[in-house]
Amino acid sequence: MRERISYGALVAYLSLLVIVLAAGSLSVGYAPLDIREAVVDAVQGRSTLGALVLVELRIPRMLLGALVGFSLGIAGAAMQGLLRNPLAEPGITGVSGMAALGAVIVFYFGLAGGAPLVLPLGGIAGAALATFMLYGIAGQGAGTMTLILAGVAINSFAGALTSLALNLAPNPFAVTEIVYWLLGSLADRSLQYVWLVSPLMGIGWIMLVMTGPALDSLTLGEDTAASMGFNLGRLRMQLIAGTALCVGSAVAVTGSVAFVGLVVPHLLRPWVKQQPGKLLLVSGLGGAALTLLADVAVRSLPIRPELKLGVVLAIIGAPFLFGLIWRLRSEA
Amino acid sequence: MRIEAENISVRLGQVDALRGVDFAADAGEIVGLIGPNGSGKTTLLRALASLRAADGGHVHYAGRSAAEVGASELSRQIAYLAQGGEVHWPMRVEALVALGRLPHRRRFQRSAAADREAIERALLAADIVALRDRTMNQISGGERMRALIARALAVEAPMLLADEPVAALDPLHQLQVMELLRKKAVSGGGVVVVLHDLALAARFCDRLVLLNSGKVLAAGEPASVLTDANVAKAFGVDVVRGAHDGATYVLPWSPTKRQ
Amino acid sequence: MRLLHFLRAIAGVAAISLLLTGASLAADSAQRIVSLNLCTDELLLRLADPAKVASVTWLSLSPSGSNVADLAVKVPINHGLAEQIIAAEPDLVLAGTFTTRIAVGMLKRTTIPVIEFSVPRSFEDVRQQIRDVAKLVQAEDRGTQLIDEIDRRIAAVAAKPRSMRPTAVVLNPNGATVGQGTLANQIMTAAGLDNIAARLRIDNYGQIPLEVVALHEVDVLIVSATRDGPPSKATEALSHPILSKLTRTRIVSMPGRLWNCGGPAIAEAVERLDAVASDVAREKSGQ
Repeated sequence: MRERISYGALVAYLSLLVIVLAAGSLSVGYAPLDIREAVVDAVQGRSTLGALVLVELRIPRMLLGALVGFSLGIAGAAMQGLLRNPLAEPGITGVSGMAALGAVIVFYFGLAGGAPLVLPLGGIAGAALATFMLYGIAGQGAGTMTLILAGVAINSFAGALTSLALNLAPNPFAVTEIVYWLLGSLADRSLQYVWLVSPLMGIGWIMLVMTGPALDSLTLGEDTAASMGFNLGRLRMQLIAGTALCVGSAVAVTGSVAFVGLVVPHLLRPWVKQQPGKLLLVSGLGGAALTLLADVAVRSLPIRPELKLGVVLAIIGAPFLFGLIWRLRSEA
Repeated sequence: MRIEAENISVRLGQVDALRGVDFAADAGEIVGLIGPNGSGKTTLLRALASLRAADGGHVHYAGRSAAEVGASELSRQIAYLAQGGEVHWPMRVEALVALGRLPHRRRFQRSAAADREAIERALLAADIVALRDRTMNQISGGERMRALIARALAVEAPMLLADEPVAALDPLHQLQVMELLRKKAVSGGGVVVVLHDLALAARFCDRLVLLNSGKVLAAGEPASVLTDANVAKAFGVDVVRGAHDGATYVLPWSPTKRQ
Repeated sequence: MRLLHFLRAIAGVAAISLLLTGASLAADSAQRIVSLNLCTDELLLRLADPAKVASVTWLSLSPSGSNVADLAVKVPINHGLAEQIIAAEPDLVLAGTFTTRIAVGMLKRTTIPVIEFSVPRSFEDVRQQIRDVAKLVQAEDRGTQLIDEIDRRIAAVAAKPRSMRPTAVVLNPNGATVGQGTLANQIMTAAGLDNIAARLRIDNYGQIPLEVVALHEVDVLIVSATRDGPPSKATEALSHPILSKLTRTRIVSMPGRLWNCGGPAIAEAVERLDAVASDVAREKSGQ
């Protein structure tokens, strides 16, 4: 790839892209809204309808789209760096499935008094467990097949337990509800979710970004990385914890949204010249851009009821995966 | 810097991989670690690099233990070249060599002039300056190995520990890599290298340590280590010897006849 | 949506024709009747002699979900399982078109007549269903009485003079609303409300985004009565902070039991909504 663009310039362009898409996200919706007027009203504290819709519905949706996309992008890049495999992403490896299970259990069984924070915490617990399991089964630079098999196992496990949990849930309508939720959506979320998950995600992001140099050194294998002074045990814990915080919170907000963590690092890896450490921040920005774009598409397409976000991303992601397999075949 | 290992034992699973091994290496010399498969060469090298703690005995770096030196200081004192030469992502050669500067970079520090100069020196020493912009999957096996060695050289550590750096190379590149290691020793560094090739070991190493079944069978100058008896006992082969340009060479010739 | 509408109509016609053929078979003989559906439970319990009721579903026992909980406690209960039904030896089974398909399928393979009723979509559907069930249980008089009472109450409300029709919308869990072609829509209209979901041409139980609800600034927002039940993802949308910030919108809750089934409860639904509508109209004209 003859990408001559420097890392700094790439980050700048991606950030710009995110900002443009965020503005786009604010101006797309189900009812005509004069954005300029709404912004002016909101800033001046007048609670007109337009300002209300902007602040209570559109801004949370835009923010959550960016936050979730960033978290999934960076977590995908981190997992690929840790497992040294370009197919490792939270969806394929079962991390999102287990996060959803955690959220389902915590939510439907009314744990911890039903305080709002339990949902992302449940998701995080599920995601952490999955990452542990994954590392236990397939870790240490295991081959692609082992990784995929481990992911299938964890996904099946999560799916089975989710069905069980729903079966036993006190709410008889749980099944229908969770099916919709699992398809992934950003519709009608409130600012409360933003306040809830942004600190958790922020901590996750910081933890992951700081593993950059260690991930670079892992390119040469675990022994070499250790010889360069990196504590591998601590690195793994940091990656697992960071991924859990990012993916667990994201799933708690939107349900299961896959493929962001797979597609984005792949697209951007040539632009950072294959360096896993540099891929982290860039994948975050790319993930935010992709999710915002998909959410704009979901609201712009004249299909009602609203297409689920997870569905749109899967429609983009699956052919991408096929293309990847095709390319691997022709290379082999 | 002197690495000294005293009475090292390492147990891997059910097996005693090393038993009561003593070892020392100083600056300015190349020490070759030789022995048959499974004799514990890689295990010893990893113990010397403190990648694996010894179950018995100590490893000292200029008189201090690994704990006293600390992980980050140790990473600047020892450069480790792993067996097999795995590179997971097809990075550009220059970026790969630059990884060797990671032990010197503090958190969030961008690469300094000192780093860039060290990288240049490493590229030059390994003779891969022309390849700096190519990616790792665009170069040959020999060039790959040189790039990995350049990475290890870029650390500019007093001690270089290399595990079978010439295993999969053709004759030309084998010689080039061994010359590179000799250059390092000559310029004041110390090198410990695990080798399978007795001829190369005899020619390029100042001292040899012959391991057999986890114990030191012989240690010292190549001539005193590579006796017929030792070689037959450890490797089960007979060798022929010769001389050229004032240096002796050793060639495995035939399996030892059983008495 | 249109296709679904069409298919539902076909199902309704089919059900009624099935009913007529079944009715001629069962007219003289129905002595042990089982109901497999909350709505048919209610009609059966209100119209038939208690001795003829072999069992109704467990859903009718809950006072929050059923209009006839006090009647249901006096009769045997089933959970919709084919074994239980057959063990009760019924000579007639009443079911909904969306009731446990497997159990109904099984029953149809026996000699027991199964009559299916679709969800009522209008006042006329309700009247027809009451007539049909009354005929099946040989209680035509009671049926006529029930229909007259319902008609009388609704007419009383419809006859009131109205200065204006407040706008309204129903917001159900998961963002669902009631639109054109539903019983609830007709109830709202009869009560003097202007259902914006119908105006926006949303059919049946389509979705309405919160944005649309907010920007239309409806006068009345109707939500399902929140039971003190276990947590539910779907009701979360109903607790979105924006709803409490719509100061000009009055939020009222309606228990689903009042307008999900066809029975006298729909008259109560009309009356309740009329009270709200009149209140709102009074407030607005008083401004």
